Amino acid sequence: MNYLLRLSLLLAILLLPAYGIAAPAPDSGIVTIVIEPMFGDQPLQLSDKQYVDNFGDTLYIDLFRFYMTGLDFGSKADTTFVLAGYSHLVDAEDKNTLSFSVKIPAGTYSSFNFTAGVDSVDNTSGANGGDLDPAMGMYWAWNTGYIMAKLEGHSNVCKTLHHAFEFHIGGYMPPYNAARNIAIALPRAMIVDHDTRNTLRIKADLATWLTTSLAKVNSIVIPGKDAAAMADNYAKMYSLDKEVQIPLIHE
Amino acid sequence: MKYLVTACIGALILYCSFGFDIKPEDIRFVRPDGWPKPVYDLSKNKITVDGFKLGRKLFFDPILSRDGSTSCASCHTQWSAFTHVDHGLSHGINGLKGKRNSLTLFNLAWNKAFMWDGGINHLEVQPLGPITNPVEMGNTLENVVKKLDTVKGYRARFYLAFGDSAITGQHVLKALAQFTVMFESFNSKYDKYTRHEPGGEMTEQELNGLALFRKNCESCHNEPLFTNYSFQNVGLSLDTELKDYGRMAITQDPRDSLKFKVPSLRNVAMSYPYMHDGRFRTLMQVLDHYTNTIVQGPTLAKEFRKPMILSPQDKKDIIEFLKTLTDKDFLFDMRFREQRE
Ligand code: HEC
Ligand code: HEC
Repeated sequence: MNYLLRLSLLLAILLLPAYGIAAPAPDSGIVTIVIEPMFGDQPLQLSDKQYVDNFGDTLYIDLFRFYMTGLDFGSKADTTFVLAGYSHLVDAEDKNTLSFSVKIPAGTYSSFNFTAGVDSVDNTSGANGGDLDPAMGMYWAWNTGYIMAKLEGHSNVCKTLHHAFEFHIGGYMPPYNAARNIAIALPRAMIVDHDTRNTLRIKADLATWLTTSLAKVNSIVIPGKDAAAMADNYAKMYSLDKEVQIPLIHE
Repeated sequence: MKYLVTACIGALILYCSFGFDIKPEDIRFVRPDGWPKPVYDLSKNKITVDGFKLGRKLFFDPILSRDGSTSCASCHTQWSAFTHVDHGLSHGINGLKGKRNSLTLFNLAWNKAFMWDGGINHLEVQPLGPITNPVEMGNTLENVVKKLDTVKGYRARFYLAFGDSAITGQHVLKALAQFTVMFESFNSKYDKYTRHEPGGEMTEQELNGLALFRKNCESCHNEPLFTNYSFQNVGLSLDTELKDYGRMAITQDPRDSLKFKVPSLRNVAMSYPYMHDGRFRTLMQVLDHYTNTIVQGPTLAKEFRKPMILSPQDKKDIIEFLKTLTDKDFLFDMRFREQRE
């Protein structure tokens, strides 16, 4: 008996944290963001799948990464919930980075906004941690700052070593700040509460990024005018695929 | 007798390499009276005994370079105020030569931007420059983290310093900053002179040099830090092989062409050669340049648009004054020595 009691106590302790995650406080809910890297209407596959860009040139994508920071959720009542200090690095190669969940106050939301990139405060505040750790390979050493988005691949039209193209886009100093605010309208208002898990599936379409010919431009690896122009371009690659609501069962 | 001498020398060496332990009072950062507020925010990276010691260990550890040959200290030796003395262009792994002369390291907390071109904006991320430079340490921070993880003792040190035994890039950088930010130099003869302390008695020649310095040099190398941290073109001819345009590479602004950071002149007598590419071996050559070989150009500093007039005696006096900026307390400070621990 004594043993049984102890065992169940132990079990209860072990299970408690799990409950904590599954059942948020009554006045909040969970939103899961899923990023779907695409090329046109096809899901992105790295390295061995051939795509055709808007210029009819064939190409392969080898690497695709970008930062999502400054997340906020807007509601019709003109209030916004800002997720302070949240930074997420999306890496097409690492499935675990393609979705993440955040807890936000209960309410009805009509937009999801984020910064594609990293704001100037985080670019000037020294060694950050987590996804912003300079060891994540998204940091320039000789001219301080984050690489906000990286796209690498190869195409026969690139007259470069191994036909490679590489775009490392960043820079936080005006007028060439490469961080871009992305606003995703939610046509069906998103009701966040204790009993629902909302999922926002967001497409990131590389065909939209590549709207300059790779034969002409195949390398941008420093901040400046070209990087800022390319950021304007890829800011258009994000769109809502669908909103999903699943009721949560709390035991 | 001979044995005794050997034993004594041995004991002395042992004392020097083991004998000095860091205590909490040794890592108190000082803001000397009358100095501006430091730029570096120490409250965001509180210096601890364990953090300082970890930073020191990393500074001297060649494991930071790709082939394990080069440490920070390879190019920054204490007795030359932490520059690469006698090397015009610093060299790193495989003996590869860089394109710039190493900088002195002290009073870094007041530095607004790092490197000759100011391309690095914060002390903590500065080490990424040398770590990733192909001709310096040729490595990546990811690799450094992985490598440190395999070396016995490092996890425990990170735990002591940051309460987390998982080694991260952030903690490598914060530890290095805790060490280098403590390189403080404010005890030269000149400092004692301004504080009216014993040891601060200046000769007439040194005082004349100070007066000339205040007239001709103060606009850029201003007291007490002996730099205003601005970027200036001092009329050095462009090295056609290195083609180093300095600040312009960072800002992409033609108005910054050929501008380099004004270096501090503290300990300058110890840190030859001089200028961003180490082209001058002596202080006299620097002064001869200022009076004789200025190259005119659209970005030249206004101070040099008209010839600077200094007699040979003036130059000697200025140099005698510059020597009073040598801070032996700093150059021989035991806290910054490599420790076998
Ligand atoms: C191969 C030689 C070499 C190595 C190794 C090296 N440095 Fe340097 N260091 C230099 C040179 C050269 C400069 C000036 C570079 C420039 O302006 O582009 C410099 C500049 C600096 C500065 C900037 C000082 C200022 O006033 O702006 C700091 C700080 C520094 N180094 C610290 C370090 C640390 C910490 C390490 C180890 C992680 C290190 N260095 C490794 C050669 C080296
Ligand atoms: C217009 C600003 C300006 C003035 C005035 C000026 N300097 Fe400099 N000084 C600089 C800059 C900038 C550098 C670095 C130049 C480079 O490497 O391209 C420098 C470099 C030096 C160096 C080499 C230091 C080193 O570590 O390499 C010495 C020594 C020096 N100056 C002494 C003086 C003296 C003495 C005077 C007055 C006679 C003076 N300077 C006036 C801006 C100035």
